[in-house]
Amino acid sequence: MPAFASKSRQLRIAAMFLLPNFLGVVTFVIFPVVFSFVLAFTNWDLRRHNAYRNEPIDFVGFDNFMRLLFESDFVRYLGNTLFLMMGIPFAVGGALVAAMLLSQDTRAGGGRAYLYLLAAGVLIASTALLSAVGLGGSGMVLLLTSVGCGILVLGLGGGVTAYRTLFYMPHFTAGVATFLLWKKLYNPQTGPINTALRPVLDATASATNAAPALVSGARWALLGLAGLAFVWVIGRLRRSWADGDLGGGAACLSATAVGVPVGVASAWSFTAGEAWLLWVLAGLAVAVQGAGVVVRGRELRSAGAMSGVGTALVMGLGVMVLMFVLIGLSAVLESLPAMAAEGLEPPNWLTDYHWAKPSLMIMGLWGAIGSNNMLLYLAALTNVPQELYEAADIDGASRLQRFWHVTWPQLAPTTFFIAVMSTIYGLQGGFEMARTMTEGGPAGATTTLSYFIYLEGFETGRLSFAAATAWVLFLIVLALTLINWTFGNKYVND
Amino acid sequence: MKFLFSIVGLSLVLSSVGLWWSFPDRGSEVPVIYWVTDRNPAREQQVALFHDWLIDESIGETVVLASDQEVAAFHERLLPGELIEAIARSSPAARRLWGEDGLPGVPASLPIEVVVPAVVLRLDTGNRNTVKQRVQSVSGVAGDVMDLGAQDIPFFVQMGVLTDLTEAGTRMGFAPDRTWEAVVPAITEDGRQYAFPCNVGVRMHWVNLDVFDIAGVSPPKAGWTFEEFEAIGKRVVEAANEPGERQTVFFTTDVFVQTMHRSLGLSVFNETLTASDLDDERFVRVLRLKHAWVYEDHLLPSAAEQEAFDTQSGYGGANMQLFNRDRFAMLNLGRFGLIQLRKFNDTRRESGEPLLRLAVAEPPHGGFRNTKLGTRSATVYVDGRPDLAVYFPAFLASEPYNQQIVADADALPPNPRFTELEAFIRPPDRPEEWGVHEPFARAANTIAIADVHSPFVTPSEVARHLKDAEDGLMTHRLTPEEAALQAAERIDQGIRQTLRESAEARADHERRVELQRQIDARLARGERVPADWIDNVFYRRYYAEQGWLE
Repeated sequence: MPAFASKSRQLRIAAMFLLPNFLGVVTFVIFPVVFSFVLAFTNWDLRRHNAYRNEPIDFVGFDNFMRLLFESDFVRYLGNTLFLMMGIPFAVGGALVAAMLLSQDTRAGGGRAYLYLLAAGVLIASTALLSAVGLGGSGMVLLLTSVGCGILVLGLGGGVTAYRTLFYMPHFTAGVATFLLWKKLYNPQTGPINTALRPVLDATASATNAAPALVSGARWALLGLAGLAFVWVIGRLRRSWADGDLGGGAACLSATAVGVPVGVASAWSFTAGEAWLLWVLAGLAVAVQGAGVVVRGRELRSAGAMSGVGTALVMGLGVMVLMFVLIGLSAVLESLPAMAAEGLEPPNWLTDYHWAKPSLMIMGLWGAIGSNNMLLYLAALTNVPQELYEAADIDGASRLQRFWHVTWPQLAPTTFFIAVMSTIYGLQGGFEMARTMTEGGPAGATTTLSYFIYLEGFETGRLSFAAATAWVLFLIVLALTLINWTFGNKYVND
Repeated sequence: MKFLFSIVGLSLVLSSVGLWWSFPDRGSEVPVIYWVTDRNPAREQQVALFHDWLIDESIGETVVLASDQEVAAFHERLLPGELIEAIARSSPAARRLWGEDGLPGVPASLPIEVVVPAVVLRLDTGNRNTVKQRVQSVSGVAGDVMDLGAQDIPFFVQMGVLTDLTEAGTRMGFAPDRTWEAVVPAITEDGRQYAFPCNVGVRMHWVNLDVFDIAGVSPPKAGWTFEEFEAIGKRVVEAANEPGERQTVFFTTDVFVQTMHRSLGLSVFNETLTASDLDDERFVRVLRLKHAWVYEDHLLPSAAEQEAFDTQSGYGGANMQLFNRDRFAMLNLGRFGLIQLRKFNDTRRESGEPLLRLAVAEPPHGGFRNTKLGTRSATVYVDGRPDLAVYFPAFLASEPYNQQIVADADALPPNPRFTELEAFIRPPDRPEEWGVHEPFARAANTIAIADVHSPFVTPSEVARHLKDAEDGLMTHRLTPEEAALQAAERIDQGIRQTLRESAEARADHERRVELQRQIDARLARGERVPADWIDNVFYRRYYAEQGWLE
């Protein structure tokens, strides 16, 4: 048999094997995608256009898109989606921490068993102490403590495998089941979270009422810390710039990011009165480092203005989040004495407009920490060359320096991949949570774009409008992915 | 590898054939139809009743078995278990076709006449979700008989997936005149019948007389105003709760904003259903009142308190359990609440506790007494076997079915005639319930009004906007004025969108808008309005009562 005949036969066989999959992709992926694109420019409504009711379908140009932007709640629901996505950096960070912890050997031996037992003892002693002073009456505190102890002891016996299984459990537990579980956890009166929070809040209220001026005054310390974080970043940026690790543009971008919280604090009514402290510290930092730039100049030139932008952005955004947290806490401290005077109540998680979104975010965080991201990080951690750690040890690097200069850069490609995928999933997600836990409420607080598409498509029947929304969502995903790609690639290459 | 793939492929094909072969429908020579309904033990009983009714009405094949050979041939027929059971139940002679052990036998005396029903009805409780039903309907795979709520029927009619039952209803005895007058707008569209009620729900307040006694307050009268409701509610809540402690007793579970604004003469839509009427001082007043009842007077639980109660334990959730434990003085529910309340009383009877002492009160009103009327109705899908499925609504109008609803207390029976029976008014084995059944039937006849739907906006969209507005108020994000405006604007926005999409709808809308101008002009001049100008079922009732109709 000639060789080409044999090859052609092989190709035919290969094609036959590929055909079912190919047909599946064409039927269930390519056709719906193309069809939905066409649909977005029509007036297709399930009530009037289906196999039983055949009104003519009109092309309406960009009407659906215009309505989306100007008439619907699209922007509001996009805001909800973006708010929920604010949990992504914490989720990625949590997955990394989990992966690092889970790459340690926890099995008993080598003195570790005593450490775990000691930790368990401290927990139990704390609970006993709380009970003794009348704050630990809640069985839930005891339950949480015993669960904590149980997990520690599990690690002694099963080692890291037991922990990995435990951490990964949220991922392979059915979504709806976990949502219902969380709904019970969030119950305002009988839920374990509020039951555990109540004694803590009572104690906080008592302490605050004992020294309200002290608590109120502590907000200055938090604002000062936020200001010092700004000072640290600016100093760090200037040194990196001087060493040639950072381009001028990248340094300015990072500095702008940390400047945002200062501006927000000035505009926010809760902190506007105290924001001058931030301005003073920020002004001093900029003046001092600016003088440094002028007087000392640069030792080495960087490759370009945007050189090192990835690292600079990670640092800038990280500190920005930290500053926001500190500023937010300072606002809480300012209001705390007034709130504590009437007693502090735990939140009505899912029924309060302002708490509903954070509630879903916390739940998402719980699921995301023990997810595929953690597995990706675990795999990536095993690929970090040991020689780099040995070299760092020889150079006398601390644990933090080992992480920052060896582990973190080596994990950059994985982090980039996780960031891209998390952004995509974040924009598309939230449907199951909204449907199961809150039905998008209260007052639309937890309606995400995916849930909005479902409502418009299947509850209202406006399939063309739902398709237009889906395509706009796609464009947003694409734009964010491109941004991620542009800056992320720089970061990875740095 | 290719052999492995081929074997896998072949196995899949064979499995598919096996699966198809094992379909329940293949085990029956009688056509099988499916009833998409909710999960409820009573449904199985109703299916059995349906088969019995088919036999009683001789709807099917009448077979005379005169010889042993004919009996043997009958046993050879491919009849599903539920039909065999129904045939065996139909007469003592038919019962003898099977032995005590249930195995086929030959009776001593022949001939025997049996009826093999024309259709087998099977339950489909996994697809009751409305969205699923919509998607399945347009995909050609919906159930033959579908239970739909009153708010869903217009959507399905617009999709063109429901069989027009007008002629069949007249011919087979389930025309709209066989059910409650107030239900008719919910089962008809443009004068055509598309459904028949499985049951009829009228919302009233179940009254726990013990809580009123403990509080030393007289129970409410038949019709009470907002002011009376508030005054009595405050006294009950004050007397039943310890001062300074967390509130554990509430006056009632909920009040419907829609019922309240209707009592002030305001509907969601205008007379011709072309726009929302909700941006109105009367709606603002109702929202303000409800907000005060929740957050100032604490007559009703807030969403957070409701969430805290929500244990989902038992039928009807936590509210019924709390009502049973004197935590609610009243429970806003239909007659179907008795399904669970009876269980409470059975438990109390077993444990020697005093039984729940019940009464029924109307919703509070602002002048025009009314209450919410809903229905779970059976519709017939256009595809499949509508010729056979149409027997089901006929069954719903029959005596056995209505008697069963009367006995089960699953809301009101579809046929009002059965509420006049002694078995409904005074169930012999439930003397503690005497006096609570009649108010529901009376309300259905006098003050109950179905929800109003506009052909220009879907009911689910309207419900979403109303809920959003009320949520916005209750979460303190919107003032009552803002909430009213938001609800009206969003509903109107939905209407505008439909008009943009459909030329047919635009033409209809323009015609109605013109009519609306004439109605407004007449009302402004203090003149009466022709009844057939008014499409809004609420305004038609309201205007008739006010004497504003020609």
